[in-house]
Amino acid sequence: MILSKIFKNGFLIIAACLVLTACATKKEVTTTTTDDTTTSASTSTTSTTTDAAPKISGQMQGDTYIGDDTVKYLADGVPDRVFFATNESILTTASRETLRAQAAWLRQNSNINVVVEGHADERGTREYNLALGERRANSAKDYLMTYGISSDRISVLSYGKERPVDAGSTPLAWSKNRRSVTVKAN
Amino acid sequence: MNRSLIISSVLHGALIFITAMSLPFLAKKPLDIPPIVSVELIQIAEKTNIPFAPKAKKIIEKKKKKKLKEKEKKLVSEQAPPKKVKKTKTKTVVSLDEKKEKIDSKNPEAVPLPDKKVKKIHTKKENKQNPEKINEEVKQVSEFEKKELVDLDNIAKLIDKAKEDTADVIKKNNDITQDQDRNIVTSGLSLSEEDALKAQIFGCWSIPLGLPYNEDLLVRIKLMLEPDGSVVKTEILDHVRMNKPGQGFYKVLAESALRAIKLCQPLRVPTSGYERWKELQLNFDAREMLEG
Amino acid sequence: MKKNLIILFLMIIFQIKAFALIEVDITRGNLNPLPLAVSPLSIDDKSKISFEKILKKENIGSEISIIVENNLRTSGLFNPLSKDAFLQAPDIANLKPRFEDWNLIKAQALITGKVTYVNEKLRVEFRLWDILAAKEMMALAFTTVPSNWRRVGHIISDKVYERLTGEKGYFDTRIIYVAEEGPKTQRKKRLAIMDQDGANNKFLTLGNELVLTPRFNPASQMVTYLSYFKNLPRVYLLDIETGTQEVVGDFPGMTFAPRFSPDGKKIIMSFAKDGKSDIYTMDLENRLVEKITNHPSIDTSPSYSPNGKFIAFNSDRSGYQQIYIMKSDGSDVRRISFGNGIYGTPVWSPRGDLIAFTKLHKGKFYIGVMRTDGKGERLLTENYYQEAPSWSPNGRVLIFYRETKTNAKGEGFSAKLWSIDLTGYNERLVETQTDASDPSWSSLLSN
Repeated sequence: MILSKIFKNGFLIIAACLVLTACATKKEVTTTTTDDTTTSASTSTTSTTTDAAPKISGQMQGDTYIGDDTVKYLADGVPDRVFFATNESILTTASRETLRAQAAWLRQNSNINVVVEGHADERGTREYNLALGERRANSAKDYLMTYGISSDRISVLSYGKERPVDAGSTPLAWSKNRRSVTVKAN
Repeated sequence: MNRSLIISSVLHGALIFITAMSLPFLAKKPLDIPPIVSVELIQIAEKTNIPFAPKAKKIIEKKKKKKLKEKEKKLVSEQAPPKKVKKTKTKTVVSLDEKKEKIDSKNPEAVPLPDKKVKKIHTKKENKQNPEKINEEVKQVSEFEKKELVDLDNIAKLIDKAKEDTADVIKKNNDITQDQDRNIVTSGLSLSEEDALKAQIFGCWSIPLGLPYNEDLLVRIKLMLEPDGSVVKTEILDHVRMNKPGQGFYKVLAESALRAIKLCQPLRVPTSGYERWKELQLNFDAREMLEG
Repeated sequence: MKKNLIILFLMIIFQIKAFALIEVDITRGNLNPLPLAVSPLSIDDKSKISFEKILKKENIGSEISIIVENNLRTSGLFNPLSKDAFLQAPDIANLKPRFEDWNLIKAQALITGKVTYVNEKLRVEFRLWDILAAKEMMALAFTTVPSNWRRVGHIISDKVYERLTGEKGYFDTRIIYVAEEGPKTQRKKRLAIMDQDGANNKFLTLGNELVLTPRFNPASQMVTYLSYFKNLPRVYLLDIETGTQEVVGDFPGMTFAPRFSPDGKKIIMSFAKDGKSDIYTMDLENRLVEKITNHPSIDTSPSYSPNGKFIAFNSDRSGYQQIYIMKSDGSDVRRISFGNGIYGTPVWSPRGDLIAFTKLHKGKFYIGVMRTDGKGERLLTENYYQEAPSWSPNGRVLIFYRETKTNAKGEGFSAKLWSIDLTGYNERLVETQTDASDPSWSSLLSN
């Protein structure tokens, strides 16, 4: 009699426990999965920046390239290129510094004319990138002009995404390709 | 400790109670339909029709009403043209076609690459009316092809004429049933009988993938059946539409439906009650498939 | 007595019921390609020898049938059956097919034909049969110069396609594209043209300068494209037949993204100056240039509606690339793309009801279509990089290009042409000799 009662109680408790555990685990599972998806979704949106940032921390700021391993020099201390953020044509502080150096150099060498070549990364449609490259090159040109370089000496040429400097498919490679390059025209 | 145990058990009890209360509902729903099926044959057929093709139904009804109106109009002027007219018509249309092909032949010359002048010397449009194999079906089909070449109005008249005796009766019945309680409309087949037939034809019907997805894609075909399910006669109910400009796809669709019927022969018809289904109308609607 | 009456009444009711036409709704079918048989075109021995001499092809009849077969297969709508299963010889089949035999191998349609050599010309006769209905659906004959045999195959394919689907075909067409070679950082690009099935590939430029975005005119004789000739990116016009080229307009800066108007009389393009790109048209007859948009943003990738009344284009005036529509005079500008992500390269379908586009969302590129009011967006394909859809002349298929992701060393880059059906089915690689991009589909050459 007592034994059966114990059994019964035991059974009930076990059943209750099972129900409880079932609920608990189920909930856990669902919550974790939703968390997973949301986090993965959010990371994937920002992956371009976050993935790369730690690895190449020294070479990118935001998603603008700040390194110099593709940079050539027009003259000592005069880098030939400036870099842009994705879909942007705004000059960064570093870019302005570079362009000021270029302007100073151009003033000293008044016989030299330049072509400012605008480029975009491979993550955009061809036609829009052509326009974007032109916009970037003009942004650099305008800055040079504010430092006294005549617009006659500066021509602008957009290559869109046709002439990348880095063939990679990484955020770092893209950041190196989003650039405007000042080259001697003659 | 004790309290939390109590709370937990109470909550769980509540949970169990709720599930116990709600589960039956869940369980009931899918079960809902079949039981009724076996009880009241008529109603069920109607019900199962609705989820399958609500759009088709609407379109059909519209059609019917339109047809009715057309019918009324036509009845006024209806005078069956003599058979001869039909023959001459066929000829002229063919020659027209030839002309068209010849016009076409000019175009290739205006094509970029130098050495390529495709000339369509002539077009062979053969009106097959060879009397080989006097099979009812073949006859019907060639008849149908002939009609394609005939001028529009004539077709309409001829068809209407041809249909008058049988179709009229059917129309009337349809109209009556439309006005009355709809339960009577689909009195014919039981759910399982209908499903068997549907399943069979689903398998046979290759929907042409090139169809425009935003057009009315309903083809209604009337069948005359043998007791063993073989098809004696097929008739496309919206014939006129076949030759309308811009409705080329409709012909394609109709042909695909006819092919499905041919391919499926003999149809999986009920073993009994031949009188009920010796005439059968199949409404082929590709829209759901192509939209989905 | 009363009972009898009731029975009688019931009987009457049942009688009516018996007459009521049973309707069964068939709302589902299979979307499998239609099985059909393409019988080799029959050829008599004399003609065979003649063609062998001229065309260096052993059996021109079966060569043509192979073209037809391939075309129909790649359309995704047909399933040409293996010739091994054919029971009837080509010559007899063309006269009168034994429908039962073809039915046996599950063919629903049959193509037969005959090739003959007449007066130094190639004469092809072909028939399309409905196997299940046991009737002839179509019979046509062509005569042409023998070297045109491939086009005969394409024209037959078009006729069959049209007869079986109700829509015009797209097989007797060409594709102009940019052939690419060399490393990604220094790509050599040439204009190239080929038949829709990849045959008769020809390069139209030498590759000394960068060329981009070629587009056919409606007659498919002229091409407008962007060339970096002398490092001045300008829109050019090329006559394929004569090979003559000319700059379009006299712009003091880069012109790009050209396209013809539907009547072929104008070229619409973007002109970039001082960081802004606006849309211009130039009339090819009187050389008049008209400015269509005037906005500090980038306005590019213009594409006319088939009736010439509207222009779809790409603009970042909202901050990001989106698709806009305006009247052809530039008035009434409306944004139509409102989904997540950025949108580019709108191209109006030849039917006029849809606009194909490229979309970038969460790092993936999509080719999709939407209605002209921007509603009903459908994404057809997703990939690492793909863009620049171009419509087949019947508005059924889109061709576009796809680029691969390179590995850590920047290797493994390739660009290929792909096609996909409007339904999102039947995605296919379009074979090209070299890497390829920027495809543009011609209209039907024989209309």
